[in-house]
Amino acid sequence: MSDDPEVLLDVKDLTVRFGVKRGGLFGEPKYLYAVDDISFQIKRGKTLAIVGESGSGKTTAALAVARLVEAYKGTVDLDGTDFLTLEDEDLRQARAKMQFIFQDPYSSLNPRVRAEKIVREPLDNLESGAKEDRQQIVDKLFEAVGLHPEQQRLFPHQFSGGQRQRIGIARALATQPDLIICDEPVSALDVAVQAQILNLLRKLQTDFGLTFLFISHDLGVVQHMCDTIVVMYMGKVVEYADRLSLFNNPLHPYTVALLSAVPSVDKKRRAEMKRILIPGDPPDPLDLPKGCRFANRCPVAIERCKTEQPILNEVALGHQVACHLVDERAVSPLS
Amino acid sequence: MTAPLLKVENLRIELTTRDGVAPVIDDLSFELGAGESISFVGESGCGKSMTALGIMGLLPEKVGRVASGSINFAGEELSTATEKRMREIRGNDISMIFQEPMTSLNPVYTVGEQIAEVLRAHQNLSKAAAWASAIELLDAVRIPNAQRRVSDYPFQMSGGQRQRVMIAIALACKPKILIADEPTTALDVTIQAQIFDLLNDMKRQTGAAIIMITHDMGAVAEMAERMIVMYAGRNAEQGPVEQIIERPRHPYSKGLIACVPHIMATLTEERRELTEVAGIVPSLREFGKNRCLFASRCNMVTQKCLDKRPPEVAFEGQQMSACWHAEAV
Repeated sequence: MSDDPEVLLDVKDLTVRFGVKRGGLFGEPKYLYAVDDISFQIKRGKTLAIVGESGSGKTTAALAVARLVEAYKGTVDLDGTDFLTLEDEDLRQARAKMQFIFQDPYSSLNPRVRAEKIVREPLDNLESGAKEDRQQIVDKLFEAVGLHPEQQRLFPHQFSGGQRQRIGIARALATQPDLIICDEPVSALDVAVQAQILNLLRKLQTDFGLTFLFISHDLGVVQHMCDTIVVMYMGKVVEYADRLSLFNNPLHPYTVALLSAVPSVDKKRRAEMKRILIPGDPPDPLDLPKGCRFANRCPVAIERCKTEQPILNEVALGHQVACHLVDERAVSPLS
Repeated sequence: MTAPLLKVENLRIELTTRDGVAPVIDDLSFELGAGESISFVGESGCGKSMTALGIMGLLPEKVGRVASGSINFAGEELSTATEKRMREIRGNDISMIFQEPMTSLNPVYTVGEQIAEVLRAHQNLSKAAAWASAIELLDAVRIPNAQRRVSDYPFQMSGGQRQRVMIAIALACKPKILIADEPTTALDVTIQAQIFDLLNDMKRQTGAAIIMITHDMGAVAEMAERMIVMYAGRNAEQGPVEQIIERPRHPYSKGLIACVPHIMATLTEERRELTEVAGIVPSLREFGKNRCLFASRCNMVTQKCLDKRPPEVAFEGQQMSACWHAEAV
């Protein structure tokens, strides 16, 4: 448990593995470590983002925090209780404190249930309060997310993508959670609608004092929404820093390459930014290299990177990086 | 100026829906010079892909048709060309790559067979020669170990590699125009950077003109010289990319640029609220009406916008905006 009362969510050594295949009838089972020993903390009212590309383990990590997939080991401490060890009724009640917003507003809403019931369902499940009170909460939630009261009786297909995501947000808010996990909440939406949802999320964060765990591959969105960023690559955290440090002084070669790959409308950035192309594809997750997982694509890898796995090291205040080539001077090997 | 390679004039494409006939492309004109790169920008449902399909002669049969206007490619009218002629043009002169590289490749043929098929159909190469070319092409799109990978099936490749195979197929016959419909939307950003780099390289080598369809202004800034901002089947704004980003003359282009949180050269503590473009793209029923179709989402709207469709106003540097208030934007 974290000693800092400011910390709402404290994740330690979280590991998720999936059994994938056996080599023959009596062979050893093989495991894919989708999330490999990651730790991070989120302070109350703040937003932490996990970024990474497909296969990095960012979504699995979020699902494990919410116990939507089973963690193999580690602890998820939410406001003083280890969420991963709770059972039955305790878990059911504790879930009210941690809610989820999903990526796809089309498949995450039941098409046969009216909007008001979708939003009310978490309350019904928890049997909290009288029925009329629950309806009152639903009315308030519809207003808070910018939907009209008369839209409560509609079915999901009668809403646009952005409006559906608003329903998803209202549902997540229903139980008055402390933490909301947003898994790519705007990736399925058109750019103009994205802005509406992002502004709404930030407004709700201030109004309700929410803490966000934000999963995204879009670094522009992350830059706008988050206070702290965790960069994942192949199940490992490669860099962990506050917003300004990460974007203005990225240290890990992967982070540097990732940031340099984002196309920008800013003329100055395009002129100054040297694009670092990382060749090839990530390694096979079932056959990971012994050393650094990024070594085969890293433009500055040395022999040690291939044999020894780097550990996460704090090189500046609030700036951790897992790279053999970065030391306390906090200078990226690519600069 | 020499004659453009592709000249689209007053194009109108109609789609038959349950609610009647809707003009999904309404009076669209633009030009593309040889070796030039332009981008179509806009939200889903604005007609970007429909324009591309119209040029390729691939509009959904019995549902979509070119109702009026012309698509002139190197002096030849494509909107009235026979299907036989269009088959020759597709692949040979104009090629297209799509958003989803998994669904656009055939899963039961090796990638080599799929590249070779194009060469055999269009250039009458022998089986052996086509196979040899397929290996060269895979190598050219930077697939490592092309000799061996040519016998792979699509499922054995990553998303980025599949898109490279699509590019190899599209460029096999050295087309004059390559249409890329959201080529990197399904891909990770580091892979996107690889594909953009490859496309630019191929453009330099083959001199092909590129039409890229996208909703990402950053990608436009990176890849195109000119852009066409489309809204509800109409041209909202056209012009040089830098100029429009610097000084958009249509509220929609302005909104598209301002609604995205961009990464700037230096990040500061300050985070402004994103500019919203309220509402969504109108339904097909609204298309074709004699008024500004963006009016319902526009913060500069006046009565004039609701009464009459705005004409295209020209600005210096070949920038054009279809807005009654273009001067004031």
